Amino acid sequence: MFNRQLKVLLLLTVLVASTTLSAAEPGGNGDGLRDMQCGGACHGDAGQNASSALTLSLQYSEHVWVGQPTEVTIIIGGVDVNHDENLVGLFLLSSTNANADTPLTDGWDILSDGHGGTGNYVERSTDGSGASLEHTWVLRPDSIGMRSLYASVHHGDAAGSNEGRPFFGVSEAFEIEIEAVPEDLPRLHEDFTPQSMRAVGDETQIDLHTKFTDAVTVEWRAEDGAVMEAVVNSSSQDHWEFILPAALSPSVMQWRAVLSGEGPEQTTPWFSIGAQTPAIEVENGPIYLQGLAMGLLLFGAVVALQRPRAHEEESLKKYDQTAEFSVTLAEAPATESPTQVAPLPEGGLPQGWTAEQWEWYGHEYLAGTYGDGDS
Amino acid sequence: MISSNTFHVVTTELVVGAYSLAGLAFLFCWLSPKLPFALDRKQESGDVVAHAALMFGLLATPFAIWSGLSSAPGGEMSSSLLANKMLFSLSGLGLASGTLVVRWRTGINVWGSARSSSIQALSGMGATGLMLLTASAGGTFTRGESLLDWLHLPYNETMLMPTFLSALLLLLGIACATIGLRSSA
Repeated sequence: MFNRQLKVLLLLTVLVASTTLSAAEPGGNGDGLRDMQCGGACHGDAGQNASSALTLSLQYSEHVWVGQPTEVTIIIGGVDVNHDENLVGLFLLSSTNANADTPLTDGWDILSDGHGGTGNYVERSTDGSGASLEHTWVLRPDSIGMRSLYASVHHGDAAGSNEGRPFFGVSEAFEIEIEAVPEDLPRLHEDFTPQSMRAVGDETQIDLHTKFTDAVTVEWRAEDGAVMEAVVNSSSQDHWEFILPAALSPSVMQWRAVLSGEGPEQTTPWFSIGAQTPAIEVENGPIYLQGLAMGLLLFGAVVALQRPRAHEEESLKKYDQTAEFSVTLAEAPATESPTQVAPLPEGGLPQGWTAEQWEWYGHEYLAGTYGDGDS
Repeated sequence: MISSNTFHVVTTELVVGAYSLAGLAFLFCWLSPKLPFALDRKQESGDVVAHAALMFGLLATPFAIWSGLSSAPGGEMSSSLLANKMLFSLSGLGLASGTLVVRWRTGINVWGSARSSSIQALSGMGATGLMLLTASAGGTFTRGESLLDWLHLPYNETMLMPTFLSALLLLLGIACATIGLRSSA
């Protein structure tokens, strides 16, 4: 008995010891809009995070004007030096509260995350990045004043003694002053929001709305980096349109506009537009019907195969102990049979006795052994 | 207010945990007569664990399906992977229901013969396998990787049958269920 328990305990110990303590998710969680620590979704438990050795800094324009898009770039240093990251998750944050701390909660719009989305969290591979990695967002502030932004990073470690451990790092606060826009500055209209996603294979017409602009030129580039110029047509005063060529596969294209007018020439940030394979158009009905059919067929098959009648006929009756019980009854001592009832004493049943009690215990009563012999 | 995404994570964890436990217990019940250490005597305990866990998983499954549909980006069936999830989960639901109905009607005697024991164990483990496939497809959809990646399953291809064939299978399933359920009467 003790040996068996020891073996089971040993087996469990080996199984537990053979697992690794890993809370990082090597495949990442995908880009999105996330608070710091992303509610524990990126790394299983924020309490397990170790401090990252990566250095984090932010780069932004000297002048950030209210209502105008501006580039904010996170620069990560020390990549692949102290960790083997493979994949890093980058956060652009407005505070380190770990709750309601995205730039959206502090008066910023996120116009582009550089991956064709509009979130504050992106995942980047560190393969081939060298010792530093940069990633740029396009933000738009909605009011004048001072704003704080932070860069934060989540990553794991694929090698060494820290293999599988989750790491977390956050930068110091970077204070950005939002200024009023100078008069007559050629600029994008405040209501212009760039398209961030489109389907593969579709050309995209962009309608640009500007202010104080007399001429516009547009440049675009695909992932290979070559910069091309688009043909821009003016549809009316301060309204311009141009066409971005179709993407042949899921990818990200970037474009920017150079705005000319009476004021100093302005160049917009690079806006990213992602291309993805369009969702399949399938009616839900046939899928539900097929799922129900498969489920019901499997249900019916199991129930039909395990019909009780068929089962009972061939059952080994492992748990049926009727025969054994019958044998026990047949071999039982005759004294226990109620047919061997003791004769009633004179005066009939003893006081307080029932006929059934007498059938079973009458002999003991007569022998004076019932109830410790004090009957 | 909890979002459907979070609720889906909670319910799928319950489903996967319950089905995994059930699958292991079914395997134990199936193999226990051949196991050393007189573990065959524990078969009745394994039977209780297997069917109770399967029942719990079965109860949690509709919530997982419903929250999954609510949280799917771009609509309920916007990708073939989501369609596969629906097919796997409904198939698992049917198999698990059948397994439980058989246990309810037959009692502990379901482990009494080699044939019955094998069918019960395989259907229970099959339901577990289908639910794990569903969870694996979900992991692939949200994180780009899952526990079953090593199988290289073609999640992005859906074998969608013509409607008439689905209807035919539905009728066949109803016929099988009717035969199976009436036979004890």
